[in-house]
Amino acid sequence: MTSNFLTTFFRKFVPALVAIVIVLWLYKYYGALEYTLKNLAEFFRLIYEHLILVIISMAAAIAVGITLGVIMTRKALEGISPVIMAVVNVWQSVPSLGVIALAYGILPLLGMSGIGIVPALIALFMHAVAPIVRNTYAGVESVSSDVIESATGMGMTQKQILFDIEIPNAMPVIMGGVRTSTAIIVGTAPLAFLIGGGGLGFWIFTGIALVDMGIMLAGAVPVALLAMFVDYLLAMLEKVVVSKGIQADQYA
Amino acid sequence: MGTMLSFKEVTKIYPGAEHIKAINELSFDLEDGEICTLVGPSGCGKSTAMKMVNRLIPMTSGKILIDGQNIDRLNTIELRRGIGYVIQNIGLFPNMTIGENIAIIPKMKGWDEGRIKERVETLLDIVNLPAEEYIDRYPRELSGGQQQRIGVARGMAIDPPVMLMDEPFGAIDPINRDHLQNEFLKIQAKLKKTIVFVTHDIDEAIKMGDKVCLLKDGKLVQFASPEKMLTEPANDFVRDFVGGDRTLKRLNLLTIRTAIRPDPPVVLETEKSATAGTIMTETGAKHLITVDSEGRLTGYIDHEALKKDGETVEQIKCETEAFLPDTSSLKDGLSEIFSHDLEFLIVLDDSKRVIGTLYTDDIKKILRG
Repeated sequence: MTSNFLTTFFRKFVPALVAIVIVLWLYKYYGALEYTLKNLAEFFRLIYEHLILVIISMAAAIAVGITLGVIMTRKALEGISPVIMAVVNVWQSVPSLGVIALAYGILPLLGMSGIGIVPALIALFMHAVAPIVRNTYAGVESVSSDVIESATGMGMTQKQILFDIEIPNAMPVIMGGVRTSTAIIVGTAPLAFLIGGGGLGFWIFTGIALVDMGIMLAGAVPVALLAMFVDYLLAMLEKVVVSKGIQADQYA
Repeated sequence: MGTMLSFKEVTKIYPGAEHIKAINELSFDLEDGEICTLVGPSGCGKSTAMKMVNRLIPMTSGKILIDGQNIDRLNTIELRRGIGYVIQNIGLFPNMTIGENIAIIPKMKGWDEGRIKERVETLLDIVNLPAEEYIDRYPRELSGGQQQRIGVARGMAIDPPVMLMDEPFGAIDPINRDHLQNEFLKIQAKLKKTIVFVTHDIDEAIKMGDKVCLLKDGKLVQFASPEKMLTEPANDFVRDFVGGDRTLKRLNLLTIRTAIRPDPPVVLETEKSATAGTIMTETGAKHLITVDSEGRLTGYIDHEALKKDGETVEQIKCETEAFLPDTSSLKDGLSEIFSHDLEFLIVLDDSKRVIGTLYTDDIKKILRG
């Protein structure tokens, strides 16, 4: 019991604590803390904008990603699913900066503005959706065919099999996709500043432009902490939405 | 007892393989409460035949009747919910507890909570897994054998008259398989379901089946009781398939009762030793079985024992382990005779009374028919 606790403690918490202490020390050393306290109102506005970017783009990505992933597993689409997957895979390899640049360049062609929060949201959404589609598809596909056969043979309808068997059993993999995606988006959201989307990127890019580590860290450190915090929340959520019968015994 | 399940010239041709009849005009009738084992070499169509009963595989032509009703007239979902289904790899739902797994079809049928709970508890009791210990556990916490028993319980959830079982014990190690088979036969003796049981193992087919249906290349080769299949194989294929040891396999099917020799040489243990000696000389018997006043086995005496001092039989008798109840199989009986190097085996009834003896000669006679 004790040794188990100690192992967990050393494996999980010690590295995180060390990282946080170093970052906070840098944060203070370069005057980021001082800068933040001086501009507290702006700090909260940037956090708010950042969260809006993350929450809205992720909510849309989860809804669309899971739906698309599930649709791709249906029998009728068996033929074209590999094609969609290939597109999704290529899409995922486009770097975040590239996605932002694409939004800036392509949206005006469609008659929309390439500047502001809307193009930023579209770009982030497009970037977030790929891992979720991939994981949902892989998760549902990986549900054992024996389980599906016995559900069918017992007289469950297609809909019951999807909602009571396939999605719940794919949940650990789907949640994995959501967590990956969220981590990427929290980290990519600062780039939204480049096309006028606001958020903590404002301080990061200002800091870089002025070669002022303090201002840069005042933007970058909250982004990192936010990523950790959101991931922690999702880990909690995972414990709720994934059945105990298929939960991994311990999160690495 | 009427016919519960009948196949009438059922044929299956898979699209894209029109020249092969996966199932070729299969017909047979199954009585209510019988287990029919579908057996044959791989690719013979045994699983296909079974899966046409709940329309997991649609048939090309022919009819299947359940309790006189053509299954084509039933809604697929309703048809399936009325048939228990148990497969080899069990297919328990890993995201649901044992209780939820068993309750799934009753829930869909709209049973109320109380009735479902009661049913789940009854079923867990039937398969010997105490409800209070197992109902809230998840499939991965159970051993393969326990999961299989849950699979059977789930198949029986709404007490369906017909059950389909696709190699249900195929993935279990031989020792546990034997145990599960026996347990299942005990459950079946009580519940009397009509069961289609697919297996590739002829020994299992013979052990589990009231009827054995042997298929080859989609065609019925022989449909008969296990006893008949062993004694009167329809052709060389059946003879080969049941194996060169088919005579010995019959020993498993027959009970000692069928070969018992009545009027065993018994003597009351209260008799004088001298009287016992006289009986032995007169009848020429080498052994006498000693019994108490109720006729229950207490031991035996032979010529060696007679040389001992003792006034009554009770004082000179020897202990014996050479006995079996008359419900044991002839295989067990023969094994006892060989392993103890006996002249005969003592046969007892339920209350341990001596009712006869078993000689190898009598077994031989029965096997020769």
